[in-house]
Amino acid sequence: MLEAKLDLKLLEMCSKCGACYAICPSCVNIPSYDPRAVIKDILDGEHEKWINHSSIWQCLECHFCLEMCYQHYGFESAMTAMRNIATRKGAHPPQVKRGWEMFVKTSRLGEPALPARKKLGLPEPKASGAEEFRKLYALLNEKRQQHKAE
Amino acid sequence: MKDFAVFWGCTIQTRFPFIEKSTRMVLESFKLPYRDIDGFTCCPEKSLVNNVDHGAFVVTAARNVALVDELGYDLVSPCTGCVSNLATVKGELKANPREKAEVNGLLKEIGREFTGTASLKHLVPFFHDAVGIHTIKQKMKRDFKGMRIALHYGCHMIRPSHALKADDPLNPVKFDNLIRGLGAESLQFMTKLMCCGQGLDRIDEHDKALDFARVKLKELKAMKADALVLCCPSCFLQFDNNQFLMEKEGEKFGIPVIYFTELLGLALGFDAEELGMNNHRIDCTPFLKKWEELSARPAVSAGIEEGLTGPNALG
Repeated sequence: MLEAKLDLKLLEMCSKCGACYAICPSCVNIPSYDPRAVIKDILDGEHEKWINHSSIWQCLECHFCLEMCYQHYGFESAMTAMRNIATRKGAHPPQVKRGWEMFVKTSRLGEPALPARKKLGLPEPKASGAEEFRKLYALLNEKRQQHKAE
Repeated sequence: MKDFAVFWGCTIQTRFPFIEKSTRMVLESFKLPYRDIDGFTCCPEKSLVNNVDHGAFVVTAARNVALVDELGYDLVSPCTGCVSNLATVKGELKANPREKAEVNGLLKEIGREFTGTASLKHLVPFFHDAVGIHTIKQKMKRDFKGMRIALHYGCHMIRPSHALKADDPLNPVKFDNLIRGLGAESLQFMTKLMCCGQGLDRIDEHDKALDFARVKLKELKAMKADALVLCCPSCFLQFDNNQFLMEKEGEKFGIPVIYFTELLGLALGFDAEELGMNNHRIDCTPFLKKWEELSARPAVSAGIEEGLTGPNALG
């Protein structure tokens, strides 16, 4: 349940278009970055080539391509799917690993800076939903296990 | 106006509590019905959580929205990422009843329900649409006439547009309107809508993140912009902190980076220190100094008739 998937039919169309290429900030500013090459390899059955490649993480998710896309797909969707696959193989950048661990443990990406808050005269931060979040995440994983077993 | 919960998000509360301070000050000034509520978690951050586990991304955001739904409030956030992530999931669940039922099945077990009734807005479109430039002008004590401001919208204030419906995703105007409403000039320039590139700093590519910051800062320096104004903690981190790091290495840009709430606060008559602007890494003094000088100049009407001696039209 709830998994991002590669839609090969949309990707086929996507590979013939390229309306988003010139507006993509990473395409313009990172010389080696070209999602069209990634998409071509996916369609040729060679997505493995990119699993350990930094390119798939250089998509900034600015959503420009999604706005330009006639299919409302955008090559960011392909990049997200590739990152999902890379992560499941343990090939994600160390910073992403650390961030994810912190998120799962605390439900946040950092705790409120208390001394600075006091100095600024800000009120006590509200209670976090960490405990409820952990329960919810456990339920999600339980459900997935059941799904697999069925 | 409906009561609204403020979603502060992790980055502001962890790294930039002074942004929370200036936001509270402007919300108070307009006597807006904002609430702090218990139970929020990370929105969650898309580039991190969604890349690892889409399911976790969806249920976490749905739970945050459910908290506001239950209270009958709306939600407003000074963070573009938070609003965009929450709205993306709200859109996904509204468009997909089966997924919504699945998510609600899980939420029910912790006593929550996602209905998606709360409107989710970023602070800038909120000020534009719900407060209004007219009201802002009435409250303003000093305008920014003569100041040249470069705006940075921040991708997630306006995109994805199908979920946010905040502004035109390719040619946004609301932030510009607000800046002009405050009397400043909103500069038009090539890299205005370019993504800040902060995301690269989150995947161990610091040098590339600096490349992105450099492209925009170079243009702003060449244009002699007085400040870069934005309303996103990620973009703020990119342009304030990374500009500071580049300056330490000898690359000088000197572009003060000002949060929308700070600029609005200054116009309302608060002073820079009160607003927490002394916590920036790039010094805001050049901006404030120029503003002082402009304000100290006599009004344009002064002196026009000085020295005229002849009779006027009626003798």
